[in-house]
Amino acid sequence: MYTLNEDIKDRIKDVNLDLSGRYNSIFDNDKNRLRSFIQSNIGMIQTLEKLGNSKLEEIKNLGGLVGVDGSNNRMGGSYPHYIEAFQAMAKSTIRINDPIFVSRVYTPLLDEKIESSLILEEEVKGENKDSILANLEVEAAIEGAKKLNPHIILMDGGLIRYNIYALDKWNELVSLCMEKNILLAGVIKDIKTSIIGDELKKNHKDIKGVLYDRELLYGLLNYGEYIPIGEDVNKKEKKGYTSAFIRSSLLPMVIGVDIISEQGQFLEYISRLVLSLTPENSRGVPLWLDIIDKEVKISDDMLKALLERYLDRGIYQRFFVSERDKRS
Amino acid sequence: MKMKVVGITTQQEFFVGSKDRNFRINEFLIIQDPFQGDLLGEVVEAKTFNRYIPLNIYGDFVDNAVLESLKALGYDVDEDTIYICKVRLINEALYPVETGSDVRLPKFSEVKAFMVRTYPKEGFVLGVIRNTDDVAKEMDEELKNILHTFEEGILKEQGELPYIMDVKSMHHYPHIGIFGGSGSGKSFGLRVLLEEVMLKEIPTIVLDPHFEMDFSTIQEYFKDKKDLFRDRFKCLQVGTHVGVKFEDLGSGDLKNLLDAASPLTDAMNNVVDIIFRRKESYTSFSNRLRMLSEAQEAGSSNEIDNRIRNAKNDEERRAWEERRNMYQTYDKTCPYSSVRGVLWRLGRLYNEGIFSKDSREIQAAILDSKMVVIQGSTRILQVYSTYLLNTLYHRRRDYKDALYKQLPSEYFPPFLVVTDEAHNFAPKGYDSPSKSIIKEIAQEGRKYGVFLTLATQRPTLLDETVTAQLNTKFIFRTVRASDIDTIKEETDITYEEAKRLPYLRTGDVFISSAVVGRTIFARIRAAYSTSPHTLNPFDELWNKSKEEDDKYYDIIMKMLPISEVDLLNVIQEIEKEDGITLTLGRLEDKLQTLSKKQYIKKEETFLGYRYIKV
Repeated sequence: MYTLNEDIKDRIKDVNLDLSGRYNSIFDNDKNRLRSFIQSNIGMIQTLEKLGNSKLEEIKNLGGLVGVDGSNNRMGGSYPHYIEAFQAMAKSTIRINDPIFVSRVYTPLLDEKIESSLILEEEVKGENKDSILANLEVEAAIEGAKKLNPHIILMDGGLIRYNIYALDKWNELVSLCMEKNILLAGVIKDIKTSIIGDELKKNHKDIKGVLYDRELLYGLLNYGEYIPIGEDVNKKEKKGYTSAFIRSSLLPMVIGVDIISEQGQFLEYISRLVLSLTPENSRGVPLWLDIIDKEVKISDDMLKALLERYLDRGIYQRFFVSERDKRS
Repeated sequence: MKMKVVGITTQQEFFVGSKDRNFRINEFLIIQDPFQGDLLGEVVEAKTFNRYIPLNIYGDFVDNAVLESLKALGYDVDEDTIYICKVRLINEALYPVETGSDVRLPKFSEVKAFMVRTYPKEGFVLGVIRNTDDVAKEMDEELKNILHTFEEGILKEQGELPYIMDVKSMHHYPHIGIFGGSGSGKSFGLRVLLEEVMLKEIPTIVLDPHFEMDFSTIQEYFKDKKDLFRDRFKCLQVGTHVGVKFEDLGSGDLKNLLDAASPLTDAMNNVVDIIFRRKESYTSFSNRLRMLSEAQEAGSSNEIDNRIRNAKNDEERRAWEERRNMYQTYDKTCPYSSVRGVLWRLGRLYNEGIFSKDSREIQAAILDSKMVVIQGSTRILQVYSTYLLNTLYHRRRDYKDALYKQLPSEYFPPFLVVTDEAHNFAPKGYDSPSKSIIKEIAQEGRKYGVFLTLATQRPTLLDETVTAQLNTKFIFRTVRASDIDTIKEETDITYEEAKRLPYLRTGDVFISSAVVGRTIFARIRAAYSTSPHTLNPFDELWNKSKEEDDKYYDIIMKMLPISEVDLLNVIQEIEKEDGITLTLGRLEDKLQTLSKKQYIKKEETFLGYRYIKV
């Protein structure tokens, strides 16, 4: 049994009260009024049709779909005594093509940027992890574009991330895709934008704080509906992306789709593909990306087995076995 | 096709995985261990696995539409299925098998020693060894096309290795058990075994309480085998064709028989010992018993003297004088109730006809190397088999013993004793007369060349000493938990095999043999002959009523139209033409039945009704 601290219980109740109060002014508006607000300020709500088999076969004949995803896992103690493995994968729906893997292993112990033990973890770690993963994913996508010659490359996650962490390689990928006529898009499971909220705030000055799209769109769209986001309101447009929200499964959650702006006219086409590949009773992620996610994942067991097998016993123990690991 | 050892291994067991070949249970694989060389193993469990189907990825269930879409995009998730099997080595290895070792299918020569121990001419060709079609391609010509199997209602050519039971090995491993629930293929397996026994001309006694071991009807699809068994077997019914010649009985035999009718008390045994004389006829023995009991009923010597004095004629007097002699000699040693008991048991056996025939025909057939099927109710077979097996077994034993002592003796051949419902003949827990002889054969038969084949659906109810002596066991589908436990105890079938017992298909069988030292999974071949009981009783019923209808339809058709006023004429006509006499009521009945079944039509006219053609 847990010993329950009354105070923490009350604090959680408070959070519930605050959060439910936050949307009252908007939720009091009925669903249809929010929908019409979106229609007039963000983009038209449209119902998507799934791609028929003949369309899908056409994609196959044009080179198929390549999904790209990455994964990382770390083992060991706290900074800097840990080792982290990264891998990214590009896998084509055309089965004869072997998937492409790229990988990297990082440990702060070998990081030349860290010259003194006084450098704090925050100063190196966060940036490093995100950029390694983003770079690997883009590398895998570039390899994929070159070797697998797909019709479409679907990245797992929003495209804006690559702008931030892997700009050079990303630009290389974009121009490669433009050159080879490959559609380059991304699927965002957890949208973190606040496009609708920001527009609402322009009209309703009394709204405070950030209103995220994820919260506003929850349950608002029907299954199969999507909102292509107007160019003028989409902040990503400036970075070169065209985006849409889709409710791709029966779950009330909404996902996002990005495509590079040069291929903006294919936004609906990609959205339809995403809808076709997403099981009705799922969390809304296209199955292909889930399959890749599962294959690329570095599990704890796998990492541990690899370290135990390929690191000398002494090195493994001296550097990477934490006090926590020895608890049992 | 690539197969590899995967996961954690031991010296005996490990897993083998493949991406493109599905494994089958009981098939053999060769493990190419880089350190220990080639190892032979058998698949004991087979599984398939697809990490995307039932499509539970992070808790999501994937619907078919999406799979179809993916397929259209070129990706078929079915191809992600992997096949895994658990393999057990035939002989334990020295070290655990190296993980990652390549695995391949064996060649026939590599498994021959485990699968085929003899050739058709010296063995019973009983069926095929399951899941051996890969190795069967290279098998010796002698082993090819020697049998058919019957699967899903279709007769099939032999595609797998034959299972041939080595007849000569019965010298060391003489006894066979056949276990399986009802409908499991047990009786059918017994039939196939008996067919082979006949083809090898082995003298055999079959106790057949079900009246089903008749081999005269050959299956339609084996037309060329017509008459295959014609002179090879004989069905004889106890009381009708065969029995016991009373004059041949010793007092031991007689006591056995009486005991089989109903258990004897010590006092009754004593009565038989005292009163029975060797070579005596049934009439003489039963008369003397009756006289004694009548004298005892009279009560005392004085009373008997009284009856002699008051006799109405000489005959009666003489009869009572004889009774007095009996009374004086035996009354002290033979209590009345025991005499009555023996008399009653004797009468019961007599009424069943056991004493009206003898067993010469059986003995002659055995000497002729034929199979004798002895039919009768279970109880009567219990009685009769006790006598018969004792007689035959002792003839064989006497011959062998005499041979050993170098004395002259009449030849009597080795033979096989086969029975279905064996638990009735050698039950566990209580004594039955036939049990002692079966036990004796089970324990000593090997020495004398007398072999047992015992079939039962309740191995749990079979005497344990007897079960322990069964060296080869055929185990068909068994559902009852207690029987599965018995089978687990009494055979070397593995845990995995025991788990499969309730699900075996009819005719599939585990053969656990002391000769082979391991269990073989086989399917019994298609029998050449068919049981006389294959007509479904409901078909029989319906056929009969259809036959009846057809018969009357033909007769009545000729007479149509028949009007109400004509009925008497029609009856006369039918009697004249077809020789069948019908009453008015019966004719009306038939006409109504036929019109109800719409063979003919009934119509109303102003002269009453009439029947016309449809």
